[in-house]
Amino acid sequence: MAQASQHIRNFSIIAHIDHGKSTLADRLIEYTGALSKREMEAQVLDSMDLERERGITIKLQAVQLSYKAKDGEVYELNLIDTPGHVDFTYEVSRSLAACEGALLVVDAVQGIEAQTLANVYLALENDLELISVINKIDLPSAEPERVKEEIEEVIGLDASEAILASAKTGIGIEEILERVVTTVPAPQGDDEAPLKALIFDSKFDAYKGAISYVRIVEGRVAKGTTMKMMATGKVFEVTEVGVFAPAMRIVEELKAGQVGFIAASIKNVKDTQVGDTITDAENSADKPLPGYRKATPMVFCGLYPVDSSDYNRMRDSLEKLHLNDASLVFEPETSVALGFGFRCGFLGLLHMEIIQERLEREYDLNLITTAPSVIYKVHTLKGEVISIDNPSNLPPIESIVSIEEPVVKATILVPAEYVGTIMELNQEKRGTYFTMDYVSKSRVKLIYELPLSEIVFDYFDQLKSRTKGYASLDYELSGYKETDLVKIDVLLNGEMVDALSFIIHRAKSYHRGRKLVEKLRGIIPRQMFEIPIQSVIGNKVIARETVSAMRKDVLSKCYGGDISRKRKLLEKQKVGKKRMKQVGNVAIPQDAFMAVLKIDD
Amino acid sequence: MPSLYIHVPFCVKKCDYCAFYSHSLLHSPKDLTSVYLDGLEVEMAKRGKDAPLGVSSLFIGGGTPTALNNRDLDRFMTMLHRHFQLNPGVERTMEGNPGTITSSKLEILRRYGINRFSLGVQSFEDRLLSAVGRLHSAKEAREAIGRLRTAGFENINLDLMFGLPGQDMANWQATIEEALSYSPEHLSLYGLMLEEGTPLYERYKEGSDEKINGIETVLPNDDLQAEMHDWAVERLKQVGYRNYETSNFARPGFECQHNLGYWRGQDYLGLGPGGVSCLNRVRWKNIEEVHAYQSRLRDGQDPVEEAGEEVLSLHECMAERMILGLRLEEGVNIISFKDDFGADLRNIYRKVLESYRDKEVFMVQGDYLRLNPKFSFVANGILQEFV
Repeated sequence: MAQASQHIRNFSIIAHIDHGKSTLADRLIEYTGALSKREMEAQVLDSMDLERERGITIKLQAVQLSYKAKDGEVYELNLIDTPGHVDFTYEVSRSLAACEGALLVVDAVQGIEAQTLANVYLALENDLELISVINKIDLPSAEPERVKEEIEEVIGLDASEAILASAKTGIGIEEILERVVTTVPAPQGDDEAPLKALIFDSKFDAYKGAISYVRIVEGRVAKGTTMKMMATGKVFEVTEVGVFAPAMRIVEELKAGQVGFIAASIKNVKDTQVGDTITDAENSADKPLPGYRKATPMVFCGLYPVDSSDYNRMRDSLEKLHLNDASLVFEPETSVALGFGFRCGFLGLLHMEIIQERLEREYDLNLITTAPSVIYKVHTLKGEVISIDNPSNLPPIESIVSIEEPVVKATILVPAEYVGTIMELNQEKRGTYFTMDYVSKSRVKLIYELPLSEIVFDYFDQLKSRTKGYASLDYELSGYKETDLVKIDVLLNGEMVDALSFIIHRAKSYHRGRKLVEKLRGIIPRQMFEIPIQSVIGNKVIARETVSAMRKDVLSKCYGGDISRKRKLLEKQKVGKKRMKQVGNVAIPQDAFMAVLKIDD
Repeated sequence: MPSLYIHVPFCVKKCDYCAFYSHSLLHSPKDLTSVYLDGLEVEMAKRGKDAPLGVSSLFIGGGTPTALNNRDLDRFMTMLHRHFQLNPGVERTMEGNPGTITSSKLEILRRYGINRFSLGVQSFEDRLLSAVGRLHSAKEAREAIGRLRTAGFENINLDLMFGLPGQDMANWQATIEEALSYSPEHLSLYGLMLEEGTPLYERYKEGSDEKINGIETVLPNDDLQAEMHDWAVERLKQVGYRNYETSNFARPGFECQHNLGYWRGQDYLGLGPGGVSCLNRVRWKNIEEVHAYQSRLRDGQDPVEEAGEEVLSLHECMAERMILGLRLEEGVNIISFKDDFGADLRNIYRKVLESYRDKEVFMVQGDYLRLNPKFSFVANGILQEFV
């Protein structure tokens, strides 16, 4: 029935963080009556507390809106939300691939940012029809004309028809819905062809198993279909199909053009990988949809429970998080200093922070995090190539021929007056200049190659602070490069603390080694005995500081009326000390293990 | 036999660092001391039976007990003698501050058998006294010491403070030397503590570079405080004082028996608003507010704070015995520990004692477990192991 798909529109929203995507999505849901005002309170697209606090979408979602257009027809609009952060670029690309159109939402004050631009390119690669929306026009400082100009110059879109909107006050909402109906193409696709469903997200449900969020590209699927994952070859029997209304509602079948979910009692989200194609095992498509890529973690760190008795609980918690997030990888790791923990891999720094915060908040774990590392490729004398994601596993220097580190292609959008600042920063960060373009009279797009380890270190903070927050960044992994790298180890009281080791470019090693011991001296509290802190490369000490012994730590007065209070004070201090990690005789605060990240170069 | 403490919650004016419960008499209605004494009289009558054989020592503290006027003092002492048996030879201390000590008050105290006086001198430098809001001058302290001796007190303690805003090593040494010139039998040296809720805490929580009335009043840091303490320990030892407890020094035979009772884990009664008692592992605290204290007692109720009663577990009792006993030069008595708790502390705390073995933190001498005096000023980290 080609007729039905004529009334379907699949679209997503592209926007920079804070440009109002979530508010706009809420407004569209409200306008079309998918949820009442009261329900809106509880149900918005950003459903995790963390997402609401940070104002970003981490886990994407989808919602089906029923809209009666001015032409009198009722349309099924599927809004697929996308996460707004560089860590999740691949997920964004799959969501976009599930759509025929996208709203390009640009803040009327701030204009286009690098992240928006990156997602626009992704949308154009997927042949999406773009509808420009200039949001927040209710703000006194709104400059819609300037932003229109930017859209034309930077993206090359005709912005004369851009919709002026305010998601906050409701201006332009109807116009947006109308434009979706009139300009976003109805999905093509033969519902009699063999099934091809694109997975753009997945979620674990305790009763239904791993649920695939899909866009049916061709064919149809219903309860009882024997489905096959084309990337992994695994076969499951479909138990339920449905749509997001926005709550999951079971339907008879999903057909070409539709967006919905498929449940098949799948035990593990690993089997519902984003980007994979679901087909009918008995009437298989000849080839999968393009663009599938296995989620690959780029950033690694060690996560350890402060209290070693929490180890099993921590493993359970990681497993639970993994149920919903196949891109989180973890395996047991042992540190001499920190005991038993896990080496965890993340899509990026934000992903890492989110997982840490969720473990601490939702699972009430007290964690020590080691400084993040990238994956180095080490060529040994034996002719092997070893991947190292934990600096303390680097083989002895004598056995290394060379080390390669990952590099990214970074796109930076910045007001023209900061070009010099950015170039200086990129030079410090060992960047290689590629190109520079004026995207408008006042804004410049710079493309550099940068080592991923520098981005992981403090690049983003530096970028923001040196440009008063005006610069924006997007990057993608572009390959590996041989570099002159060394490992710095840290000794506390003469004992090596493996969790503090890090790998760094030789030219920066002395400076960083010195800064780190200085930083540690500030972080490690004075204790009963003097504590020497040394940073070493191999056997060579490159810097030393000393935490002098504590001189005063005493209850000076303690009589009958004070005893309970003083005992409780000691109990409290003891709890405080327990939050630190005891390495030999030295108590080390949790944040010491991230100290290497907090150094100003 | 418990010891007896009586709290007198009045001062002429509170000092800026003080977190104890006390009314400023400058800002209180005239009859407040009578309300207090009315309540106290009832409490004494009730509590006297807790010490049928008398009390092992008496300490009247505050506040500033000598802030009471002659009539009130006389009534206080009469009540006390009516309800408690004070055996001969028992140490009976009263605390007081310079500026409130008149010969006639001292005469009353002597008449009622007060045989030890603890004087809050804190410093012999006016600038430092006013920096922490003390009302009296160094001159008044000197006069008070003279009057105490004249009145016949042969056991005097002077409280001195180090770490005062604007104090340096030379100031501190001068204060110690002057104190020694009066040959006190006992000295208490306290490091200034910033307690939350006090004016001094408010003044310094943001940093320590405040100028008051144009005078530099930097707070000495922990290292300087430690040096002040260490210097005083050495100096006082030279002239024959024993550092018998973390903050206390005495000529042999003049150790404060009342306070030794606390540190050795003996029972005590604490009367008056805010007074704390501990009998048979139950500890309770009286309400602080004077009117509420008095009205409860008048109505025949216990004047105990809501949730002010605490039944100590065996673990808590043992922990307290350790953290208090290790403050003493003599240490914790292993035999009495065993008598009281039925176990050898060397077994119970074996792990802790062993973990500090190479640093020689603990020493066993005779029947006592002691803390190496080297660590007495950094003892908290060690004492934590026992709680």
